[in-house]
Order: sequence, then structure tokens, then C-alpha cells
Amino acid sequence: MKVYFFLGKGGVGKTTVSAAWSAGLAESGLKTLVASIDPAHNLGDAFAVRIGDRIMHVGDNLDAVEVNIEDMIRAYLDDLSAKMKNTYRYLSAMNIDGYFDILKNSPGIEEYATMEAIKKFVALKGYDAVVFDTPPTGMTIRVLAMPRVSLLWTDQLIKMRKRILSTRGMVENVQGKFEAEVDGERVVLSSSEKEDPIMQELVSYREELRALRDMFSSEQSYVNIVTMAEDLALFETKRIIESLGTFKIRVRTIFLNKFFAMANPPEEIKGKIEEQEGVIKRMKAEIRGIEVKDIPLLRKSPRGIDELLHVYSKYLV
Amino acid sequence: MRRLLDSLKKSFKTFDKGMREDATSLIRKQLDEEENIFALLTMGVFSGIPSPPTGVVLRILPHMSREISVMTRRSAGLDDVFAQTLGTFDID
Repeated sequence: MKVYFFLGKGGVGKTTVSAAWSAGLAESGLKTLVASIDPAHNLGDAFAVRIGDRIMHVGDNLDAVEVNIEDMIRAYLDDLSAKMKNTYRYLSAMNIDGYFDILKNSPGIEEYATMEAIKKFVALKGYDAVVFDTPPTGMTIRVLAMPRVSLLWTDQLIKMRKRILSTRGMVENVQGKFEAEVDGERVVLSSSEKEDPIMQELVSYREELRALRDMFSSEQSYVNIVTMAEDLALFETKRIIESLGTFKIRVRTIFLNKFFAMANPPEEIKGKIEEQEGVIKRMKAEIRGIEVKDIPLLRKSPRGIDELLHVYSKYLV
Repeated sequence: MRRLLDSLKKSFKTFDKGMREDATSLIRKQLDEEENIFALLTMGVFSGIPSPPTGVVLRILPHMSREISVMTRRSAGLDDVFAQTLGTFDID
């Protein structure tokens, strides 16, 4: 399965490019899913149909979904809360609801939920390609970096856990099964790595993170940037390439969008056109080794599969 | 005679248990400390300490009640660290 990400500042045309790209892939015969993980969705506007948070069919070989990240967070925390209440009956003493109120607003929860959404869609069977329309740059970079950063923590926590279990083992060797009192209940704690639920959880999470990290840096993953012919956009593009590079994620294509391309421009916009030409020249000179594709400002924003396919065949392929 | 043997057995058992508990008391303290640090590192977000990415915390949270309870107990005793240290080394 091939996975495509389209990154860029807000308003550069990520949604249009991802929608056109997915329509093109579907047209070429690949069973494709296009998923918007941007909290400000407008994938439905590009396809000119109403798209919800359940996968729906929008064309031949083409499905689409707009992920509701807030709902995902709520559902995940509800599930977690139920799991905790089932596992530990004495948790009521810990004021668990208070913890969840904090967690809902905890820094990083949105990035975590977005990463979980990516994991979920990439694991779906039956698709040849998944295209992600992403949130604005900063958050997407944090999401793409998350597996690598989380792995550093998980590795360290596994080391600490091993030490705890080894110390527990020492007590167990002298005293027999290690019992402890937690909120008035006697609980037998195991010193075996296979029986310790925290160790098990950390090890299985490490495996999931490794798979995701490898997928993001693999040949099957295509991270692309959508940008415009403006100085600020050029700086941001260079920053994206650099930060993704530190996480070993390669940018494949830059889509240079929405620049003026006209034979006889009116006097009023000549200055703007010259400025854009300067930026385009610098972009092509300063960013090497990455293909740049031009998508000039269109007369009309493409709406619906036919118009998106036109954009795909004319500018994206 | 049997009763005498039983009570001897019982007192040896108690003595043995006491000795074993005494022998492991320092290791238990070390274990408490390790579990406390683990909890502080992973649950520190609740008290403003920099914490691992939320995903890691959420995954282990359902199994952390023992560590949270150790952390809470240790925090409650933080105003009397001196007494705790003396207690660890059996100094009255």
C-alpha cells in the first residue's frame, strides 16, 4: 500500500491537491482512500459532496472520510476510563474523572489522536493507496515526528521497568510472591516481564511505534509539500524539509500552487508577478533533489471529481 | 507434645517471616523509590513535570494504580523526609 501526505501552510491548497491526487490514483485503477485529518475539514467541498466521519464512497475506486479528531479523543478517553474502572475496582478513590478532565486538554493529545487515526487508516485492508489531507504544517510535523520521539521515551521506560521488576524479583526470592496493598486491597505483583501489564503495554506500544516510524520513512510513504510563490511560504518549505530530514522523512514532491501565469497581465499585478517569479527562481535553485510541480492559479476552484481529474492530469502527474 | 511442636513450628515461621522482612526492608524501600520515580516520570503531567508523549502515558495509565498509590504515599510523607531516612536505617 502507498501512503501520501500533503503538508503545507493553511490556505495553500492542500485539500484541492490531495483531492485531485486521490481522484487521479482512483482513475488509474488503484483502490484509494482519501482521509482529511485536518480539524478544519473541507474535503467535502472539493468533491462537492457531504463527507462525514465514516468512510463513504465518492467515486469509482475512491472512498473518503473526514476524521473528527475531537470525537476520537472523547471516544478513546471514554474507552480508557471504562477499561480502568473494570480493571481496578478501587480506583474511585483516585478521583479518576478528574484525571480525564485534565487529559482531554493535555498537550499533545490532538497529535496523539491524529497519529492513531493515521495508524487506523493505514492498517485498513483493501486499499492500494491512502491519501492524507493534513492539518497545517506545525502539527503535521509533530505527528510525523511522534513515533520517533515516543520511541525514545518508550525505550527508556522499558529500561526503568526492567529495573523495577528485577528489584521486585529480589524481594520475591526471599519472601515469596510479592504482595502490596493498593487502596486497601491486597494485590499480588509479578516480577516477570511477561506478566507485568505495564511492561507488556510498553513493549507492544514500542512495536506499533516502530512500525509507524518505519512506514513514515519507507519507500511506500510519499510526503509532499504544497506551497505558494511567496517568501514566507519558501522559508516554511525549507524548514519543513529540514525538520522532516532530522526524522529521516524524505519530501518527494513540492507542488507550487496558485501563482499567476498569464501572457498579458494587467499593470496592477505586474509587480506581484515579478515578485512571484523571483521566489519561484529561488525555490528551484535553493531546493535541490526534490521535484517541483507547478500549478498556476486556476480561473475557478475545481469542484467535483471531473474538475479534480482535470487538475490531476494537467498539472499533477 | 504435638501442641508444643506446633507452637514451636509457628514461632519459627513467625521468626523466619520477620527475618525475611527485615532482610528485604531496604530493597523494598529501593523498590518504592524506583516505582515512585517511574510514576513521577509518567504521571508528572498532573503536577507540572515534563512528561512523555501523551500516547505513552495513555497506554500505561490503566495499569499504573500501584505506582500512583506509591507516588501519593511518598508525596504525603515528603514533609518528614528526615524521619523517613532515620526509619529506613532503624534509628529511633
